Amino acid sequence: MDVQIAAPLPDERGGFGRGVTASLPVMIGFVPFALVLGAQASGKGFSAVEVPLLTGLNFGGGSEFAAVGLWTSPPHLLLIAGVTLLVNSRHLLMGAALAPWIAHLPRRKALPALFLMCDESWAMGLADTKRRAAAGVRTPFSLRYYLGVSAGLYATWVVFTAAGALLGPAMGDITHWGFDMAFPAVFLVLLRGMWTGARAALPWVVSLAAAVAAYLLLPGAWYVPAGALAGLAAAWLGARR
Amino acid sequence: MIDPMTLATILLMAVATYLTRIGGYLLLGGRALSPRVLTVMEAAPGCVLVSVIAPHFGSGRPADLLALGLTGLASVRLPLLPTVLIGVGSAGLLRYMLG
Repeated sequence: MDVQIAAPLPDERGGFGRGVTASLPVMIGFVPFALVLGAQASGKGFSAVEVPLLTGLNFGGGSEFAAVGLWTSPPHLLLIAGVTLLVNSRHLLMGAALAPWIAHLPRRKALPALFLMCDESWAMGLADTKRRAAAGVRTPFSLRYYLGVSAGLYATWVVFTAAGALLGPAMGDITHWGFDMAFPAVFLVLLRGMWTGARAALPWVVSLAAAVAAYLLLPGAWYVPAGALAGLAAAWLGARR
Repeated sequence: MIDPMTLATILLMAVATYLTRIGGYLLLGGRALSPRVLTVMEAAPGCVLVSVIAPHFGSGRPADLLALGLTGLASVRLPLLPTVLIGVGSAGLLRYMLG
């Protein structure tokens, strides 16, 4: 660990409140996803304590939807951990992009702050940093702003997934018939959010085809690693050099 | 209230996710990644998500495939809740009509 020789740089005054305010629209956007996840998890046998435990310790929506979708009793521990790692592998790139802007922070601050890094807090934190850099601020990354954004999003996610788990049993009866279709519907909306163009989506098509084939031919949940690896291989082969 | 296997899975997920969050900062910060590695990492989350829902595409029930198509169209234009309602509603209705 580095020894801090220089005095710690002052962080932005009032940044936390600015972050919370800026995150309000995103917080509202989190609510339906959180309710649906909580309801689906309770349908898979999660208790109203286990749901906020999952969403509070993991705090990664895509991986939580994937885990609940693959959930059996007892769960396939390694399969779910592997899928979680793959779904969240994008964090590696996000952290790398953020690294030069938070290089001035000691690790005892940076490592806990990164626990709260999600797609939205990362994007908003980085956008704010670039705005402040363009305005000539000496330490453009505002930790307080980032923590304000993150705190609002984190609280919304944990509270409303727990609410979804409590409301879930009631919602389940109403939509009994086609309730299983809620899953692909959520995933398709998540995929739309990741869409950057047809070329970038080609590996997804390969994944889907391989996963469907594996689902029809192989026992258990092997279709997930089979589909994921086929898509990654396609991305590797199709990448522009 | 808390099942031990559920707890173990949640803890393992939490560790895996936290490693992805700090990994880029600790290991990749300031290092240039090849465009190929970037392409693969950007494709990874989508590849996993479509693989997880593959059983819905492989069911072979015309009602399910039609409902999936409708849900897919809805997901392009509509927010989450309407898309979910169209998915659930169309699946229920089409299964009732087509069997």
